[in-house]
Amino acid sequence: MVKIEYLTPASPEERKRYYREEWNIKQVPEYIIHSIQEREFGFDHVGRGPNDRYKVFRTPDLLKRFLKVRTPFAAYCSVAFYDKPRRRDRWTKAELVFDVDAKDIPVRTCECEGVCEICLNEAREIVLGIIDTLKADLGLKNIHVVYSGRGYHIRVLDNDVMSVNSDVRSQIVKYLVGADVPENEYSLDFEKVSYEHFVIPFGYPNVFTKRVKYAILHLTENSELDEVNKKLLKDVLKHRQLIELDNWGMFKNKIGPQRYRKVIKGIASINMSLVDAKVSIDLKRILRLPSSLHSMVSMKCTEVKNIETFDPFDDAVPKFVYERK
Amino acid sequence: MIIMVSVAFINPLSDEGKMIVRELGEFDGVLSENDDLMSIVTESRSQEISDDSFIPRSYFDLALKRIEWYAKKKNDRNFDHKQYDFLFNPDINKFDVIAFFLLCQAIGVKYGPNSRESRVLVESQGKLIENRLGKLSKIERNVLVTNILNSLLSSAHIKWTFFEDLISSKKLKLHELILDSGEIILDKDDFLERFSHKIQGRKPEKMYEALIGDRIKELVMIKMVMQNTENYILQVGERSNREIEPNPILLELADKISDVLLASVQTFGQGSGGYGGSVKASALNPKAFPPCVKKVMEGMKSGGRNDAIIMFLTPFISYARLYPAVFSENITKQISDVDPTLAIIQNEILPLIFGAAERCSPPLFEDQPQDKVNLNAKLGFGMHQNPELKNEGETTWYTPMSCEKVKIHLPSLCKPDETCKKIGNPLSYYNRKIWVVKKESKAESAAEEDKKD
Ligand code: SF4
Ligand SMILES: [Zn+2]
Repeated sequence: MVKIEYLTPASPEERKRYYREEWNIKQVPEYIIHSIQEREFGFDHVGRGPNDRYKVFRTPDLLKRFLKVRTPFAAYCSVAFYDKPRRRDRWTKAELVFDVDAKDIPVRTCECEGVCEICLNEAREIVLGIIDTLKADLGLKNIHVVYSGRGYHIRVLDNDVMSVNSDVRSQIVKYLVGADVPENEYSLDFEKVSYEHFVIPFGYPNVFTKRVKYAILHLTENSELDEVNKKLLKDVLKHRQLIELDNWGMFKNKIGPQRYRKVIKGIASINMSLVDAKVSIDLKRILRLPSSLHSMVSMKCTEVKNIETFDPFDDAVPKFVYERK
Repeated sequence: MIIMVSVAFINPLSDEGKMIVRELGEFDGVLSENDDLMSIVTESRSQEISDDSFIPRSYFDLALKRIEWYAKKKNDRNFDHKQYDFLFNPDINKFDVIAFFLLCQAIGVKYGPNSRESRVLVESQGKLIENRLGKLSKIERNVLVTNILNSLLSSAHIKWTFFEDLISSKKLKLHELILDSGEIILDKDDFLERFSHKIQGRKPEKMYEALIGDRIKELVMIKMVMQNTENYILQVGERSNREIEPNPILLELADKISDVLLASVQTFGQGSGGYGGSVKASALNPKAFPPCVKKVMEGMKSGGRNDAIIMFLTPFISYARLYPAVFSENITKQISDVDPTLAIIQNEILPLIFGAAERCSPPLFEDQPQDKVNLNAKLGFGMHQNPELKNEGETTWYTPMSCEKVKIHLPSLCKPDETCKKIGNPLSYYNRKIWVVKKESKAESAAEEDKKD
């Protein structure tokens, strides 16, 4: 088991070893290889951000040669497809992506400064929830997960969504993370009925319920929610085993309906930070190339085959790290 | 079941509607007095006829009345629906459809789909449908809506991506729809089949009625007609770019439409959200600021400091103070149009923004003085340290970010309250709230006076 202190930058020597000895073009996912001519690539050679951009590779072999020779600090590839990628011209479509960065999760149980096993695992749980909604509600199928070195990228390549614009993407994000409190009053012919989100076991209210549950179960004494004071937070923590058992009604009674509203409103508002929405609405973004080295933390940006069992400290640590003294 | 009301009365772009237009043939005669039309109008049940000007005499008149109805309803506190009762009389169907097409063509030819005129027409069509449906019996309404919906939707299983346009324009919100495996659930049997077994302790039928029922079906139907109207205007616009001379009647109608809209702005003040009185520039009242602005005004403690002050606060404060009606009037202005000596900028606006910048930790401009240039640029004065008239216009005066943008770029700012539900831009929040706040403080000072006595 690798320990967290290994998350230190890789030296130029280590980078070279990585690309020349360990890296293999077969680790670049198929969905990138087969559209390689339509994508823009970008590189960071010195560690100050990607400034060598607008690169295009006609074949996987040329990409392979470039990486082995240049051994960049970081490598990126566009989510967008272009007719003329060299000029980022004639955009045709873009993957729908979600960036879950462990460092930026709004409620996390660890108190670490950067990224640790605990928050990486929490990022993984969030990813699982999002994928579930992408499939069950939005009916999307062509979904890939990449460990980014500090969190996860979810990349969706269903044709139906690759062409949608930023406005639609932003609504998808809000739906997935549960950023809006669902309506709870509905009018029938001559009466008003009220259904709390947790009594509706389908559609958006159901998604919202799951996100609220996740948040409540991951709150700590130090969590901050708008308009939720220390006393209320304490009460939420005290009664949260009710939520664990899905006894929402009882939980609401214990907390009091007014205060319950405050809690879920606060959660809806922080949920927007579960993913970095800027990444999702950007139609021309470049993302870390799966298989490349995240030199800042000496981890591999890795395609995740099975997110249920994925462990970055097993699956994304390059060999040279084990040989460090 | 017999439907009394024609489909075209609700959806003029339907086959029935197109048939009516085809029967009319050329647009000659749209200006001439039409006795049939006038008698339908005067015989409408609660129609006001005391004044000749209430009665449209031709197709052309009727088209303008349609727009006038919407503009007045929105802006005029003394709006009298009896003057427009004929618009809800199903007998007018044939004339109404033609008026609708005239409007689309006039606006398409002259202004295109992104104009204010187009927006007004699309919205007014939506409102007309709502009001017309409201006059039907529940059964009639349901049959009609289902019929129209069936003709608009190609199959029983509709993927949500089919509504991409509606979602993109926010006519429909993704989270308002019930989605399952990528499909939008509208049909009752479909709903019961998919969800009944999951629902506990409640009647699935009732839940269907409440969550979807006629309400969502109508919503989807209305929004689709609105979207199709917009698309049609776009088509007309594109076609007219290729063709030679547009029909002069259409151009005349287009001018008149603008006149009607302008008149309603001047008389009643557009965009005041029904409170009456136009939104005029006046001293800022921080009590009416939305939560997001209040938060930035207190100073940002963490990330997003630059964007919060420069991209978000600067446009907000400057427009709120100098040109709060920007979205309703939709006219591009420069700061000097409203503040010719830049005195307000210097004495009121910049101090507020600099104050907020100073309250950040670390204070923004101490840290990054070069950002003053960016701030200046957002006010329209180019890439310089200070606003000067001679540089105005080198950049454009940025309009305030929408709530949607705030949520994405500065999510930590947005802490919506009740008022936020009704608006889409922090500036609209301010315009709404300022009226309420004024009233409250009047009441307060009156109470103070009372105490003194
Ligand atoms: S909803 Fe809009 S006005 Fe309200 S806090 Fe959020 S951004 Fe501000
Ligand atoms: Zn951690």
